[in-house]
Amino acid sequence: MPNLFILVLQVAVVLTACRLTGALFRKFQQPRVVGEMFAGIMLGPSLLGWIAPHFSAYLFPASSLGFLNALSQIGVIIFMFLVGLGINPKELQKEGHAAVLSSHVSITAPFVLAAFLALYLYPRLSDDSVAFSSFALFMGAAMSITAFPVLARILQERKMMHSRLGTVAIACAAVDDVTGWIILAYIVVLIRAAHSPTSIWVTLGGIVVFAVIMIYGVQRLLQHIFLHAYERWGHLSENRMAFMILLVLASSLLTESLGIHLLFGAFLMGAIMPKEPKFVRYVLDRFETITVTLLLPLFFAFTGLRTNIGLVKGPTMWMYCGLIILVATVGKLGGSTIAARVTGMPWRESAGLGILMNARGLMELVILDVGLDIGVISPALFSMMVMMALVTTFMTTPALNVICPKALLEAAPDKAGARPSSPPVGPPEGESQVA
Amino acid sequence: VGLPLLGLVAVLKSGRGLAAPYSVDGAWKIDSSVDRSSASACGNLLSSITSAPLSISQSGKTLVVTLSGGTKTTAGTLEGKALKAQFVAAGNSGTADCGDGGLTLTATLDPQAEPRVLRGTLAVAGCASCVPLEFRAVRQPKSPGGTR
Repeated sequence: MPNLFILVLQVAVVLTACRLTGALFRKFQQPRVVGEMFAGIMLGPSLLGWIAPHFSAYLFPASSLGFLNALSQIGVIIFMFLVGLGINPKELQKEGHAAVLSSHVSITAPFVLAAFLALYLYPRLSDDSVAFSSFALFMGAAMSITAFPVLARILQERKMMHSRLGTVAIACAAVDDVTGWIILAYIVVLIRAAHSPTSIWVTLGGIVVFAVIMIYGVQRLLQHIFLHAYERWGHLSENRMAFMILLVLASSLLTESLGIHLLFGAFLMGAIMPKEPKFVRYVLDRFETITVTLLLPLFFAFTGLRTNIGLVKGPTMWMYCGLIILVATVGKLGGSTIAARVTGMPWRESAGLGILMNARGLMELVILDVGLDIGVISPALFSMMVMMALVTTFMTTPALNVICPKALLEAAPDKAGARPSSPPVGPPEGESQVA
Repeated sequence: VGLPLLGLVAVLKSGRGLAAPYSVDGAWKIDSSVDRSSASACGNLLSSITSAPLSISQSGKTLVVTLSGGTKTTAGTLEGKALKAQFVAAGNSGTADCGDGGLTLTATLDPQAEPRVLRGTLAVAGCASCVPLEFRAVRQPKSPGGTR
């Protein structure tokens, strides 16, 4: 049984720390999520456990972390559902050459560079229980991910959703995230299959059958159950909302039992939900508040408790950390910038796209958490990658202010002509809080 | 896109030849069949320490070693098959007969054994009369959901 006093105290402390730090970071024009990620790290062994070890041990005893983790994972499941909900694959097809090329390069460049970096890091930060291919592929997936919700939020705040830069960036981010998650699913299957009596081919076959049923069968049913009801009555009944949550949980459980992670099921369920903008906005509104204000901060805290910057000790370890940040930035920022420039975007807009794509935010933490759980990365590497996620997300807004100031974008009319009336992917306009 | 993919394939192929440090990560059950009569004045201290599992968190050659159910934690190193960790004195953990309570753990890994086995000694720093306690630790199976 959980110690309820400790659990409630933990939630209260985490909420307070996240709200305060988030508000502080907002003053510096940073997305709230960066502040909340930072708050999570402060509550862990990197700061609180270091300066007040006894208080830290009292507040976060090892026996209580299982309950905190369970609560935070519920939050991440709903978050991944909302991320999937915000992605509209059909609209991606409308994007032009720029989006297609940029998205491909923004995945492959950091992916390949990360694989090269893996050659150097594997003998130094891994061990022989992890196959090199799993290690390299995970590093690639983790470095090629983009913070889709953070990116959408930044674009909304800067009123850039309808600009060429905005539409291309959000299309690329969506493609990157879907690709990154597919690769991650493969890695998880590969590693879990090594410890499971079930053949990897049976697992992969099961996943393909599940995905086909979801995309070609369940998707149509969802139109009838949810979209038609919403269009008829203008809202969804509590029973239908409960049924939606049940479907998310069922999908999560199925992917978990198939040998991949709970989160893939939640993401897929969101991705096949109806994409009518008003409906998406309605569902987001119902889920966001409790997820963003209560459950995700718990995830940040749990991630912070697993992040120990003290493990990055000595000049050599800090050199590894710097190298990871450098490769991640060069691959993502550099790759996206050059690809966009090749497609004819002006330099400043191309660099703006690169900067936006380089933000990794919460999506990176989710991936890293999975990586640490399945043992493909070590605790020290996990801490370095968390720092990389923080740095790349933190630098987005200031770098964008320098390279693509609002005045410049307003002065430069959209050369691509008419823009779509709604963003190609991502939550319809409004105050999305997921970021 | 084709060229980078070829590069990726080349990296994956060349990476197969790389050797990473042996894995010692996880919980290790210290074998209770060790003859503890070999320990002298420090026997009780060492026995109490080794009655709880040994826990190791690994990042390459760098280790975080935890003994005595989490009350003693220190950094350690793994060089080849040789594991070494030095626990500084906790202040009140020593006894009048038994040094200052600082401990030195040295062990050798048997990577061929399944599950893996560590054989080594645990010695009390600053206690000339104490005989180091020999131990054998067997790695416990990892949970199927997560391995680390």
